[in-house]
Amino acid sequence: MIAHRNAAALALAAVIGLTAGKAAAQTSWYDLPAVKALYEKAKEEKEVVFWAPVQNEVDWIQSPFSKRFPGITVKGTGDLQAATKLIAEARANRHSVDVWQNSLGGMIEVQKRGLFDKVDWQPYGVTPGNVLFDGEGIAVHNFVYSTLYAKDFVKDADLPKSWDDLLDPKWRGKMVAQDFLFPRLMGFLAVKWGAERTEKWGRALINDQKLLITNAPRESFLKTGERILSIGDSISQSYQYTENGVPTGYTIFEIVPAVQFMISPMKNAPHPNAGRLLAVWLASDEGMEAREKNTYGFSIRPGSKSHVAAEIEKAKATVVLEDVASMAQRADFYKKFSGIVRGQ
Amino acid sequence: MSQITLPTGAVLRARIKKANSAEKRADIGWLGWTIIALGAAAALFFILGPLIMLLTTAFRGPQDLLPFEDGAQWTLSNLATVYLDKALYTSVLPNTLIFTAGSVTVTFIVAFILAWLVERTDLPMRNGIYTIILFPLLVPGIVLSITWIFLLAPKTGWINVIIRSLFGLGDSGPLNIFSMGGMILAQGIGLVPFVFLLLSAALRSMNPALEEASNTAGASPFTTIRKVTLPVLLPGLLAPLILATLITLEQFETPLVIGFPARINVFSTRIFFELNPDTDLPAYGRAAAVALPFLICGILLLLIYNHLIRRAESFVTVTGKGFRPMRFPLGRWRIPAIAFVAVYALFGAILPGFVLVWASLFGYALPTFDTLSTISFDGYVDLFNNPKFWLAARNTFIVAGASAVIVTSIGVILAWTILRTQLAMRWVLDFISFLSLGIPAVIAGLASMLLYLSLPIGVYGTVLALVLAYSYRMAVSTRLTRAALMQIHAELEEASSASGAQWFTTIRRVVLPLLTPSLVASFTLLFIIGFREFTIPTILQSPDNSVLSVMMWQAFQAGKTTQAAAVGTMIVLFVIPIIFGLRRLVLARDGRD
Repeated sequence: MIAHRNAAALALAAVIGLTAGKAAAQTSWYDLPAVKALYEKAKEEKEVVFWAPVQNEVDWIQSPFSKRFPGITVKGTGDLQAATKLIAEARANRHSVDVWQNSLGGMIEVQKRGLFDKVDWQPYGVTPGNVLFDGEGIAVHNFVYSTLYAKDFVKDADLPKSWDDLLDPKWRGKMVAQDFLFPRLMGFLAVKWGAERTEKWGRALINDQKLLITNAPRESFLKTGERILSIGDSISQSYQYTENGVPTGYTIFEIVPAVQFMISPMKNAPHPNAGRLLAVWLASDEGMEAREKNTYGFSIRPGSKSHVAAEIEKAKATVVLEDVASMAQRADFYKKFSGIVRGQ
Repeated sequence: MSQITLPTGAVLRARIKKANSAEKRADIGWLGWTIIALGAAAALFFILGPLIMLLTTAFRGPQDLLPFEDGAQWTLSNLATVYLDKALYTSVLPNTLIFTAGSVTVTFIVAFILAWLVERTDLPMRNGIYTIILFPLLVPGIVLSITWIFLLAPKTGWINVIIRSLFGLGDSGPLNIFSMGGMILAQGIGLVPFVFLLLSAALRSMNPALEEASNTAGASPFTTIRKVTLPVLLPGLLAPLILATLITLEQFETPLVIGFPARINVFSTRIFFELNPDTDLPAYGRAAAVALPFLICGILLLLIYNHLIRRAESFVTVTGKGFRPMRFPLGRWRIPAIAFVAVYALFGAILPGFVLVWASLFGYALPTFDTLSTISFDGYVDLFNNPKFWLAARNTFIVAGASAVIVTSIGVILAWTILRTQLAMRWVLDFISFLSLGIPAVIAGLASMLLYLSLPIGVYGTVLALVLAYSYRMAVSTRLTRAALMQIHAELEEASSASGAQWFTTIRRVVLPLLTPSLVASFTLLFIIGFREFTIPTILQSPDNSVLSVMMWQAFQAGKTTQAAAVGTMIVLFVIPIIFGLRRLVLARDGRD
């Protein structure tokens, strides 16, 4: 059984979800009257403008979405700094975006400014447990932290089994991590371990194990063997690296930190119905499956049907899921650990 | 040894010109003044927005509010956070000074030798070499850095592997790219084409009669360079030196990819981290506070520049007398010169180019004979079948080309106004145009976004917004043109005027043709910078104004290596013919090879 931090709340959500699921099971979600009515209105709007952190998260959508809902063009943009633009556009009363996808933490500043549209998602078949920000957003996929390994250089039998195994001298000088991701990984671990133990672990990796912190693509290091373990990369990246010609595997340790990505409709959106329809589709099983197929974006939330969720459950690992309640605590950890990682 | 002196006649004529300045202003006419006014207004429009944004943002807070939001207040907290940090003085500042001094020295030595060889000697295949030297400018900075990692990574770097196998060393080193030396080498080589382009334009505009006189007097080529070429070229040398210093201070790709793994923090990486914070919104206020020294540095360098070139007439080398260019015969130095160019070409152009093309066809697969059978053109097929690519290509040509034309044109107007008129505000124009280099692109992008969002003219989200936003970089064009204009004596314009030509005719028929090498260099440089720029278009992007650099960066971020490399390769293929063509244009105009 997966031990989640907010197990009680999620269990309750799952129960509610099951109830809603029964109703939805009688008829496909896309046949729900509310969805049908939404599609009719969306068709009149003809297009939907969708922003996500990276273009790759946008480009795959048009084809599968059109198969389900023909007649709506998805115009997408990948932008890591979208929050600034959304705030600036709203101030200038110029609204160009219908729906925005980002990590939960990355959306908070925009949500605080009241720029998201609040929606009752239940008529559209969205599992209540996946509704976030009191209706201003829906959970989609997760960035699941892992330790990736170069299959050409590491045998399965030699793999580390836990985060502490990385302190084994045999991995000295063989690990790489990204400067942005590693402090975040430490932040999640600190929620379970406490700040002191996590800091000691991080410093040992950097100073004793000579962990290479970089901003360059980690797959280049895994390919050449300059480094053979990538700490704090996501499971989905292992698939991407493999696709790029770098055979890469992933590990599931005792703690599985996961960033929560979500999607929110914008207030005063130029195409509000099309935006809402796209959000509903992305949060549906059909949308999740299409995402997994196209971008290896997995959900490991309770009720997820992804194989990664099943593997984590089988490994009896503890999932630390990004949530609003622990946001401030993790933010403090990030700031502290970033200084260590950057040598400042 | 003979003492070489500069022509005193030029000095005298320049003094006469100063005395008659009032008369000259009258010669300019209403058309001239209109053009000057428009040029000055355009420069102020393009530069003041970003400049004001930088200066105000540094003093706006708190961090969880954007500088323009309600609730944001004037504060010194950004400056306090940045400048009361002990690490700034114990590591960031010393690192920045060492890195900048080292990189600029490497850049300058290599670039000057290359420019001198191409423009002043009988080096073979000069046109091809000219294009090859510029190649690193086309390759994305991140690719250049990764190439250096491939070559000099401690364990698997190709050069290290070769050295170890030759000398039977252990399994790591002896060289390590992740070091201050590695940073300096990578940045120094990466900036060579920029400085080369500026220096070659200055060398090309220089009348070689003085060098010939030195040679005739029995001076060796090295003595001639030291005692004639370098002093006469002072403005042409100082301008790229200053520009290279400021660019090195601002660029963050090499410090981030190569320096960061060694925990070497410099100013530019600090800005990067402020803009990519651990939580919340980008800390624009702190980033602007970190960038303020760039402005101060720019002001100091400008003062030094103006002090050193205060006797502008000393640098006049193009007078009414025609000149035939002379090339030094390399003689026994021919082979060492070719070897020098070859080593630069190998590390600066061939290997990065190879890595780029290889990655577009094979991803991260290592270059072996076995790998060749896995060649895939999918990256290109996907690209060519993607309508967004063709839209981005069209947009990129428009944005890079139009902004380069705008900035070069304004640069000529500003440079001429600063040097040839007695307008009271000409020093303001000089000052403002120069400071544009000290403004980080992210601040310029932010200023443009706010400006075009608030203007009810429908520019926001369009290609035109990018053209206008790119056009703030006046420093390169103004400095380059000014240095060239200083080498052209005003007597040529006076002769034209005395022959009855109107001001505009004189500019069109006399000044612009003589400035052609500098104008082409300015256009080329700005065009390439426009092709590579990704910070501003990222901030201003919409589905309709996507450009290739953003497309490449996005593919790279998404881990689509082959697609990113394919876009990078296409950028190179698009730009190389233009560089080559412009070079041919200059050569055809000069009537020499």
